[in-house]
Amino acid sequence: MIEFTNVSKTYPGGVKAIDDISLSIGHGEFVVLLGPSGCGKTTLLRMVNQLEELTEGEIAVEGSSIHDLNKIDMRRNIGYVIQSNGLFPNMTIEDNVMVVPAMLGWSKEKKKERFEYLMNLIGMPPETYRKNFPHELSGGQQQRIGVARALAADPPVMLMDEPFGALDPIIRARIQEEFLDIQRTLKKTILFVSHDIDEAIKLADRIVLLKDGKLQQFDRPEELLNRPANEFVSEFVGEDSVLKSLSLYQVQDMKAKLTLPEASDGLDGTVFKHGDSLRYVLSHLLHPTPKPVYFERQEGGLAGPISVAHIEAFVREMTA
Amino acid sequence: MNSKAVIAWIVKIAFWVVIIAFFWWTISNNMYAQILENPEQFAGLLGRHLQIVLISSSLALLTAVPAGILLTRPKFKKYEWIFVNTANLGQTIPSIAILALAMGFLGIGIQAAILALYVYSLLPILQNTIAGLKSVDPAAKDAAAGMGMTPTQILFKIELPMAASSMIAGIRTAIVLNIGTTALAYLIGGGGLGVWIFTGIQLFDNTYLISGAVPVTILAITVDQLFRVMQLFLVPKGIRKAQKAAAAT
Repeated sequence: MIEFTNVSKTYPGGVKAIDDISLSIGHGEFVVLLGPSGCGKTTLLRMVNQLEELTEGEIAVEGSSIHDLNKIDMRRNIGYVIQSNGLFPNMTIEDNVMVVPAMLGWSKEKKKERFEYLMNLIGMPPETYRKNFPHELSGGQQQRIGVARALAADPPVMLMDEPFGALDPIIRARIQEEFLDIQRTLKKTILFVSHDIDEAIKLADRIVLLKDGKLQQFDRPEELLNRPANEFVSEFVGEDSVLKSLSLYQVQDMKAKLTLPEASDGLDGTVFKHGDSLRYVLSHLLHPTPKPVYFERQEGGLAGPISVAHIEAFVREMTA
Repeated sequence: MNSKAVIAWIVKIAFWVVIIAFFWWTISNNMYAQILENPEQFAGLLGRHLQIVLISSSLALLTAVPAGILLTRPKFKKYEWIFVNTANLGQTIPSIAILALAMGFLGIGIQAAILALYVYSLLPILQNTIAGLKSVDPAAKDAAAGMGMTPTQILFKIELPMAASSMIAGIRTAIVLNIGTTALAYLIGGGGLGVWIFTGIQLFDNTYLISGAVPVTILAITVDQLFRVMQLFLVPKGIRKAQKAAAAT
């Protein structure tokens, strides 16, 4: 879907912003470009829609090299969301969202229908916001509109440059969840820039970790956490990488890996479901006044009581 | 009501009292005699005045706005300082000196007056066009480019609407200044209402002075107000509302 082949960018004066990067991103994959500031993640993203030139190598989107495509046409076919939302203050919300469809010459009915679909998708009633202007919305709402605008012409590929970076933590977490939900239905191929490891772990199918324009590791989040490729990666994921990795696993993963004791019925305790994060389970176990923890079993009944030792055994298993 | 609003009211009332007193004084002393007795001459002078203002400011508008747009394009950005500094320099020369210089090129008459006033009107328009275009949120331009707008579309759909209020303010300033300065055109034989103003000064005759000066002032105020109304039509509603909201906080 998106293929980077030996991509480099050298600024006049010899500074290498991007150094020989090759990546292959599959259809419907959510890839987060992660790294400290100045690592080249934004540059790499902006190369895809040719807002940045590349000096060497090649990028192909859906099988065709970006050099062969018309810059303007290809950009209209790629969703683009940026941190400071970049909404146009002179246009209403409807006009903002429908910028690309308008350029593509969609009919009035088709635009209206699409606008309503998108607004419902992002959970903002279309009739309430149609005639509003961007400055009348909150930061979180503006960013939702930014996402809707990028989705307007239903592009197969989305480029997102720290889209939730300027939001406060509570709103950010909520919008991340909403966006994951949207992604589960729409299955876009997404390149997403972030400097926040927690955001990357939460959202990504795979993470590209960059440093000084060089690729450090391109892997699934749990691999990045459990098997860092080098010193920099382990430093970047942090001392609490095991804790972070627990948020990637759910109760069902643990049940699949370990044989857990059968629990008799009618016990007093906390019961976790298949999809619950192991991070919550651990937090529960470490509570000053813990209640016994049980897992729901597929075939009925409960497994447990679960102890910290079980979590320990699971982590050993996963990192082995 | 806070003290600021009270002071604003007092100033407003005092201002109107002065205006009314002034008109009462001029009318009761029959100082508009020239207009009433020579309406044809008045119409001629007013027409000439408007002609000079109209031609010189239209030419300035047609030069400075495109120049401001060009000088904010990436290709020409590096030349911006040359033009802005030159225009700044032009503005520091007294208007009478510019008129005299223009007379040196084109001789006595209306052409010299138009040239001088044209040069004099360039800077406010150029400056505000550049300032307006520069103040456009870079994120909006980046988003527009990333979504596949052509540079022309970005200019007309994003940049100009967002810069409109600053640009119109510049044009308004230029034309209002121009109306006042055109009174000096008399000095190089350009005609206009300056003829009566300077006659009044030379003859120490208030009927000439007031018959010339008051129409010039009224003209300037009218044009100023006209542009404020025009702003309502030319600046997009979203921008106006956003500016109002920003001013309120």
